Amino acid sequence: MAWTPPRTEVLLQLSGAPHQTELVGSALRLTTSLLDRGARVQVWACGDATRLTWAGLGDTKPRNYADWDREYPSAPRIVRELLTDHPDRLHWYVCAFCSEERGTADQIPQVRRRPLFKFAEHVAAADKCLTLGVC
Amino acid sequence: MTDHLLVESGGPESGAACERFAGDALRLLQDGHHVVLFLVENGVTAALPGASQGVAAFLRSGGELWVDTFSAAQRALVAGDLLPGSRMADMDEVADRLLAPGSRAVWH
Repeated sequence: MAWTPPRTEVLLQLSGAPHQTELVGSALRLTTSLLDRGARVQVWACGDATRLTWAGLGDTKPRNYADWDREYPSAPRIVRELLTDHPDRLHWYVCAFCSEERGTADQIPQVRRRPLFKFAEHVAAADKCLTLGVC
Repeated sequence: MTDHLLVESGGPESGAACERFAGDALRLLQDGHHVVLFLVENGVTAALPGASQGVAAFLRSGGELWVDTFSAAQRALVAGDLLPGSRMADMDEVADRLLAPGSRAVWH
């Protein structure tokens, strides 16, 4: 039987460049608040947002020369830890087309790459869909 | 009547789209819906007096104007700097509104 996306209360479609605005921070804050309320959430990363969970980014950001000993978690690590903390209620999907186009097909194993044409299945599996950012 | 949650993230400096979005919020309000306009990121600057005619009109017409506490703090804005009648809100309240049965939401 073909795999289908698990049902969730909310689908957040996340587009746009990760470091251009505060969009990713807002999306993660909203995701955390939704999870704290017991909601099931799926995130569909599209466009440049597929870079958020690119395995090549590693676990930490480059060191800060002004605070050499402090460790800053990378975006893939933050997402991975969120997924680990909410294994049955948070799902993170990455648009396969967008990630391949950007050379970021090598994603962390906790996320699932999905063909673009399957996006409609995710919309259908969510009570509400919110699109954040533009590609 | 439907509950609407409209999220503005760009603010007046992002161009005319902010005003148009605030106009959408006002029209929904005038159609008899309950509307919350939540300002986040640079969108919080739309709550400064004189910054956005659309946001001010929305507030005057009885809309609920929420300003993201986190984004405001990042810009050194406090409640006293903002339009009277607006109020600080955090992402937990946005999540509550989004999860409310029957509510509709748009992020701009």
